[in-house]
Amino acid sequence: MHQEPARPHTLTTFTSALNQLRGDLLTMSSLAQRNLRNSLRGLMERDDAWCNDVIAEDEEIDMLEMQIDREGIEVMSRFQPVASDLREVVASIKIGANVERVADQAVNIARRARKINEHPEIPEIHLLDEPARLALSMLDDAVRAFAERNAPLAVELKARDKELDRMNRELADKMVNRMQDDSANLPIYLNLILISRCLERIGDHAANMAEDVVFAVMAEDIRHLGK
Amino acid sequence: MTSEENQPSSRTLELTDDFVPGESNFIKVDDFKFYYGEKRVLHGITLEIPSRKVTAFIGPSGCGKSTLLRNFNRMNELIPGIRHEGDITIHGTSIFDPSVEIIALRRRIGMVFQKSNPFPMSIYENIVYPLRITGERNKALFDETVERCLRSAALWDEVKDRLHDSALGLSGGQMQRLCIARAVASRPEILLMDEPCSALDPIATAKVEELIMELKKDFTIVIVTHNMQQASRVSDLTAFFYLGNLIEMGDTRSIFTNPAKKQTEEYITGRFG
Repeated sequence: MHQEPARPHTLTTFTSALNQLRGDLLTMSSLAQRNLRNSLRGLMERDDAWCNDVIAEDEEIDMLEMQIDREGIEVMSRFQPVASDLREVVASIKIGANVERVADQAVNIARRARKINEHPEIPEIHLLDEPARLALSMLDDAVRAFAERNAPLAVELKARDKELDRMNRELADKMVNRMQDDSANLPIYLNLILISRCLERIGDHAANMAEDVVFAVMAEDIRHLGK
Repeated sequence: MTSEENQPSSRTLELTDDFVPGESNFIKVDDFKFYYGEKRVLHGITLEIPSRKVTAFIGPSGCGKSTLLRNFNRMNELIPGIRHEGDITIHGTSIFDPSVEIIALRRRIGMVFQKSNPFPMSIYENIVYPLRITGERNKALFDETVERCLRSAALWDEVKDRLHDSALGLSGGQMQRLCIARAVASRPEILLMDEPCSALDPIATAKVEELIMELKKDFTIVIVTHNMQQASRVSDLTAFFYLGNLIEMGDTRSIFTNPAKKQTEEYITGRFG
């Protein structure tokens, strides 16, 4: 079930301010999605140029996070939103913080990739293929759920987080074993563990974003259920 | 106010004898329809108002919220050509019962209006007026009432040294609080407030809102307001009216965070009209 965008406010500046906030969050999200893709590309294609781009572009995402916070506070102080509007503003600010952390993880991946790229290629790098695909798909779906106000997609996405956690644990176990057998490549294995950990964190952030989408759309708090 | 003080003198409509604080259906409106001549303006309203809580009526102009409010003390009966169907009971007694004396009813239900309406007399005389018209002449009782009511309206400290000055010399906010003090002088159970802050500045509004929060310990308050933030700040329950119908009524927090009805959502978020 998607929630259709509500009809505009009588006060058009209110609608404009909410649209601006939403638009900036979507811009920020798409930059974070691109940075994550580029950091993984720098790793898999062993091309530092992609990694350098990701590190350089992180500042823009940081600026957008602060802009979204300012816009959210301004909407609250100027228009005193209630009900779905209030939930959307609060969710946007929280989603913005998660997107910024996703972007930070992309920077971490880019930095680790540059270190790995200093060494000859090893086949174990492709153990990251599946977790990377899953983390990317979770981030994409979290952004899509927000863009489409699609609560069922957000709910479904949360379940995938456990799968990513499992992949991260398995990869860490394999890498520890490889470290014992092949100590010469220990720095690479260590960086692969750390990149896997970054992907696992990105899954957590995507799940957090999904929870905020459900709150914004359905007014339901699905955090910490089943713990 | 002590429970002893709450005991009413003999009246036709006894509301306080077995008054139950927190009673969930203190005022009960049952399929209430109201007509101005041939025009029906309330279309079968059913709702319950709990005692010692603040209930806000919200809705666009012409939705019927003030009309319903003014039925609680039968003020609408001053208008020719009106009639009603259905019933309104207060603590189980119909306010339309032939045995109910309308003056006694209104003594039990204080009312504060949009525009403050102090009488052109002293502050002191404004407060004791409701007692004087019942024939009361006890000066000690007058003094006690003036202080009690002005204190409960958070006005005592501001006016205690000029009680015999004209009430018309007070500021707008003070005049409105004086009217609230006068409304509680006859020890009503219910306070009806029809846009009590719409003519006040933000500071005076805050003082009246603070007063409402204090008064609900002793009174059942029903407030009509166009100010959404005011409704969300001061009320425990909110009822949304539209075109003479009750669209939704519920706990204020729910109404302002997640209303059940689309019309309510559109109204409170400003997507109306």
